[in-house]
Amino acid sequence: MQSTIPPTETGREALRLFKENRGPLAMLLALILFPFFVALLDGQGPTAVLNNEIGNARFLQGLLIEIFILAIYALSYDLILGITGLLSFGHAMFFAVGAYLTGIAFKSFGWGVGPTLAAVIVAGIVQALLFGLVLPRVKGITFALVTLGFASVFEIIVKSNEMVAYTGADVGLQGVVVPAAWLNTSNERFRLYLIVLFFTFFVYLVYRRFVDSPTGRVCIATRENEGRAQMLGYNTFYFKLTALILSSITAAMAGFFHTVHQPIVSPAVAGLGWTVAALLMILMGGIGTLSGALVGAAIFRLLQFYLERWFGGNATFLIGLVYVLLVMFVPYGVVGTWQARRLDIQRGRERLLRLLHLRP
Amino acid sequence: MADDIILETRNLRREFGALVAVNNVSVRVKAGSFHSIIGPNGAGKTTFFNLLSGTLKPTAGQVFFKGKEITHLPVHRAVHLGIGRSFQITNLFPNLTVMENIRLACQAMGRDNFRLFRSHRAFRQYEERAWEIMGKVGLQDKALMLARALPHGDQRKLELGMILAPDPQLLLLDEPTAGMASEQVPELIALIREIQTSGKKTIILVEHNMNVVMRVSDTITVMHYGEVLAEGTPAEISANETVQKAYLGALYE
Ligand SMILES: Nc1ncnc2c1ncn2[C@@H]1O[C@H](COP(=O)(O)OP(=O)(O)O)[C@@H](O)[C@H]1O
Ligand SMILES: [Mg+2]
Repeated sequence: MQSTIPPTETGREALRLFKENRGPLAMLLALILFPFFVALLDGQGPTAVLNNEIGNARFLQGLLIEIFILAIYALSYDLILGITGLLSFGHAMFFAVGAYLTGIAFKSFGWGVGPTLAAVIVAGIVQALLFGLVLPRVKGITFALVTLGFASVFEIIVKSNEMVAYTGADVGLQGVVVPAAWLNTSNERFRLYLIVLFFTFFVYLVYRRFVDSPTGRVCIATRENEGRAQMLGYNTFYFKLTALILSSITAAMAGFFHTVHQPIVSPAVAGLGWTVAALLMILMGGIGTLSGALVGAAIFRLLQFYLERWFGGNATFLIGLVYVLLVMFVPYGVVGTWQARRLDIQRGRERLLRLLHLRP
Repeated sequence: MADDIILETRNLRREFGALVAVNNVSVRVKAGSFHSIIGPNGAGKTTFFNLLSGTLKPTAGQVFFKGKEITHLPVHRAVHLGIGRSFQITNLFPNLTVMENIRLACQAMGRDNFRLFRSHRAFRQYEERAWEIMGKVGLQDKALMLARALPHGDQRKLELGMILAPDPQLLLLDEPTAGMASEQVPELIALIREIQTSGKKTIILVEHNMNVVMRVSDTITVMHYGEVLAEGTPAEISANETVQKAYLGALYE
């Protein structure tokens, strides 16, 4: 029996939203409290977090900010590859455009945060439209190669000596100063931590909504069987373009936060390696699951961090080894495998109940 | 063109390299009729369907639907004009549920395809319509099964359900009974006839089972090596000597 029925439609809707997102909300709360918890363990008072005191709490916030940024980036790749089935080898460009644009706007043009953000979003839309130009003409691996072509051109431009005044060429963009004291990662670590954390969850929830929307369902259908989706009457081009635009804006935003958090932009983020990083993250986490992108980003960064700390120069080899093992033994990624297992467990339980005549 | 002709092809031709899979095919299909296409494997029946539905572009010739030329229509437009097409080889969304397969077919006909941030569950009309279709093809009790987990016969029913969803005027059915257990065939054929008569629809059926074709068709077109060998009522076709020699004979000998 239900005792507390919310009186209004809005109340019911809010309750439903809350119930649907209980997991993510609990996670969000845990992550908000996490720095305080670390500070307490370290014998610092909880005010240490608010006062930006040096210590583990501050350091781990920095590491988590990096993970959140990677998670946003990985989510954006999962949307086009895992959900829509578009294989792009040029995804790094989506991120790098945001990162470089932010750096150049701050450093060379002296723009504030607002105009820079607006420019990043516009650039995100424009580059998605650029990719969209070839979308109706090339499919599958050809699309991957064409997008790699686009990204390579961008990488060459970024690294070229003609652009050295803006991009720093091979060395990368250095000495970017964020023109807003409230967003400074050194002085306002906890605030930036909260901003990036909230943004990550915002993107995640928006993506979940999108995947469940009429548009998102058609993206999934396109991934499953594009020819059939067309035959049902969908012009799949527009659905793929929608996913690309959403993904591109998201990745560019990740690039924006990247520059804000560590004011050095290396040309490595424009290279194929950075696209492969996105691929690895969603493979490890579970492709097409969205939450896998979050898990994958955490695994990716923590592996890199701890293996480098413990093994120094040998870390690269070990990281590679772990990737191979993960892909071999957890083929659907952490989240994907867990979901498949959970289904098995549920089925087994139902079968048992039926055997025991507890269920019809 | 007469008003009661719903579909017409003029000298339709399709080559694959040196092979002429469809050769100067001119066919007229009466609205509301049950029109069957028969012919041995490789006769070009599936290719002909691909040309009608826009999946393939013809090398030459034209296609008209209700008097309007649709030869170069993009694939995704056909269904909006009222043409539904099923496939010889099962062509579904294998990892989606039966419900979702049909619901997607229903959603395509509405105006909510670009509602980006509302749950698809909020658009009940598509689910209700899908439920109704599932009732028609007898899949309601399997609504939440994944399409790939269905027995083959049910996959054929799902295929039919997906093209019924938009309520097309013309149904192109490419061997809908292919691979079905023979005892399931009459049920599906009865369903197809039911759909035709109750909905005043036109059916173009490719079918191998000669008994079925002779029983249900108003008109039969016989294809052979990409060409139309003969056309007529079932009685005319079974009396036609060329057909006897080229095709029926081979089957009944
Ligand atoms: N995409 C294709 N590429 C090359 N040849 C094809 C293609 N599709 C069909 N064919 C050839 O065209 C001929 C007609 O095939 P099809 O239309 O499938 O015949 P049917 O459906 O009557 O059995 C066959 O010889 C087949 O091999
Ligand atoms: Mg065929």
